[in-house]
Amino acid sequence: MLFFKECKKILRSLTFWIYCIIVILMFFSQYYADANNEAYPDGYKIVMDEEKIMNGALCGLLGEYSANYYVCYPYGFYKSVSLKEKDKHKIEEYLMELTDTDSEGLTKILKQGEQYTVVTGMVEHTMYEFKNMNVSSELQYSRFKEIMENVDDILGGGSSYQIEELAGNYSFQEMTPEEEAAEYDLFISNDKVTGALARLFSDYLGIDLAFLPVFVAAALVAADRRSKASDNIYSRKISSCRLVFTRYSALIVTMFVPIFITMIIALIQAIHIYNDKSINVLSMFAMPSFWLIPNIMTASAVGMFATEMFSAGAAIIIQAAWSFRSLMSEPLAGSIGKFDLICRHNTLFERDSFMAHYNDFVFNRIFYIILSIGIIGLTAVVFEMKRRGVFNGIRLFGKGGIFGRKA
Amino acid sequence: MDNKIIIKNMDKFYGRKQALFGIDLTIEKGMFGLLGRNGAGKTTLMKTLAALHKKKSGEITVCGIPIEKAGKIRAITGYLPQDFSMYPNMKTDEALDYLGALSGIPNKERKQRVNSLLRKVNLTEHRHKKVKELSGGMKRRLGIAQALIHEPKVLIVDEPTAGLDPEERIRFRNLLCEVAEERIVILSTHIVGDIEATCEQIAIMDSGKILWRGAVSELIKKAEGHVYTANVEKQFISQIKKEYIITGMLSQPDYITVRLISDAEPDLPNVEMTEPDLEGAYMYCLYSSGCDVKGGE
Repeated sequence: MLFFKECKKILRSLTFWIYCIIVILMFFSQYYADANNEAYPDGYKIVMDEEKIMNGALCGLLGEYSANYYVCYPYGFYKSVSLKEKDKHKIEEYLMELTDTDSEGLTKILKQGEQYTVVTGMVEHTMYEFKNMNVSSELQYSRFKEIMENVDDILGGGSSYQIEELAGNYSFQEMTPEEEAAEYDLFISNDKVTGALARLFSDYLGIDLAFLPVFVAAALVAADRRSKASDNIYSRKISSCRLVFTRYSALIVTMFVPIFITMIIALIQAIHIYNDKSINVLSMFAMPSFWLIPNIMTASAVGMFATEMFSAGAAIIIQAAWSFRSLMSEPLAGSIGKFDLICRHNTLFERDSFMAHYNDFVFNRIFYIILSIGIIGLTAVVFEMKRRGVFNGIRLFGKGGIFGRKA
Repeated sequence: MDNKIIIKNMDKFYGRKQALFGIDLTIEKGMFGLLGRNGAGKTTLMKTLAALHKKKSGEITVCGIPIEKAGKIRAITGYLPQDFSMYPNMKTDEALDYLGALSGIPNKERKQRVNSLLRKVNLTEHRHKKVKELSGGMKRRLGIAQALIHEPKVLIVDEPTAGLDPEERIRFRNLLCEVAEERIVILSTHIVGDIEATCEQIAIMDSGKILWRGAVSELIKKAEGHVYTANVEKQFISQIKKEYIITGMLSQPDYITVRLISDAEPDLPNVEMTEPDLEGAYMYCLYSSGCDVKGGE
């Protein structure tokens, strides 16, 4: 059967074994180490306290305005922003509105900042810290959000004042012992331990699987050209659709094998640590499969498509950029976007916040399954065009490439 | 379904550059040779017939199937590319089995065909060798086996003997003649000896055009009266190369016997008209078609 022959080809490739080693190393260094002790909630929790958010954001904005040094992460990349006079003036006006004061009053407020120094690389920056500042009691939360949105626009996006990041940045508090006990109860009773462990497992492995499969997929597709076997394959009877989908299925199945093995290890670890608790064995397999297979599918689909269309190098760059962007745009826990490739829930607790976004999570995973199948359909079209000699792929780099020197 | 390949007024372009010009050919069962210099357009024509390249205009039917029906063409065509290669780490029998699977041959039947083809191409004892461990000749034999695995009606082989030693070349030619008994085999080559040993019908290509088509004997007949031999002193050789098309030289102690092509009797010592061989006839065909074939410095 062709499917098994394709699996065998993948199992023979060095890239696949490097993938396996990295996945297993990541599993042990991240998840296994984190889950190696019986868990108990002892952290902070994010609360939707409007007053806390407004006052916290005001302190932050006063500090960055005083230094004219704003730290932003547009698309997940670090960027420091220093504003010109015109934009500085706009921020000043917003600060006056937030504090319900005039220029003179704002100057007095700004004097309350405590100076400290931050070193970034070789450069020293003088920063200011503001504590216990309060926004005007007249200010509505809706207007506050508008101001924050405008401030974020002025800063070019990715600032600490993005609406969706406000609660996570400025409104968290220590949990009470009762809250911790309630969280723990959810962990034991509702999640049956493995439900929570499965989320943490998927969180860590999901990051790796949004990127690593692209290498294996690109290597499989590029092997035809590298071995000069393309013409032998192109001239066979098999339809392009069948060949591309068979290869794709083989990629997903083979790349899922090491994940399945790590699931078994994670389950054995859980049984060992929580031997006195009632554990749901199935959760350790069901949730990670639903969570992680779309990542493998998407990264493999991009790998196959971009390698057929451009080159293996281009496929790796595209997937690296996409997965990094997705990683940087998602909070560690508490929110799952409908279209983010990497879903995150980097805690064994906060079950409620995960369940609050459960529908988005399900939508997200199904969306990526459909998207990747669509990409593979396109790959089959490109493959058929190359096979008929009507398209030769697009060269991006090197001699004659779009970004390379002219041939 | 007729057992012919019919090409009518076919043009092929690479971008704006025209590669094939108004090709007209009819190829019937048996060995058919396509002879031409490197860059004549033979590989382009072979790939177009294997549905690996798209023609710009004209018509091609392979055993009654229009070339546009690529899936059907692939099912009846075996193709051995110029530089046959496979995944280097695959074993010989595995490579054959894999390509058989891509041709849609059921498991059981495939195993039988792999064994019988390996026997036929004399690779049985090398079946467990990896492709990268095979010699050039063995690789070509594996190439012909993969092209035959699905028992095609048409076999297209592109420059199959280039780089082979004389023994391998003879073995390969014999193998081709054997398989041509029951199908159309198109042999593309720039080596006249390959054609001479295997084909009755040939076409000569140059610069993307068919210069001549017909039987080998007719081509030779056409060159009659234009091939001469002469004994020339060694110091005059470079001068003669500039003036005539030399098709062969034989060194003697005091002089060189040259075989050359000329429309009229050359003014050379001991000149004699001689019977043309296929090489001479081919060179005369190129010469009479206006191709630059003189070998002078």
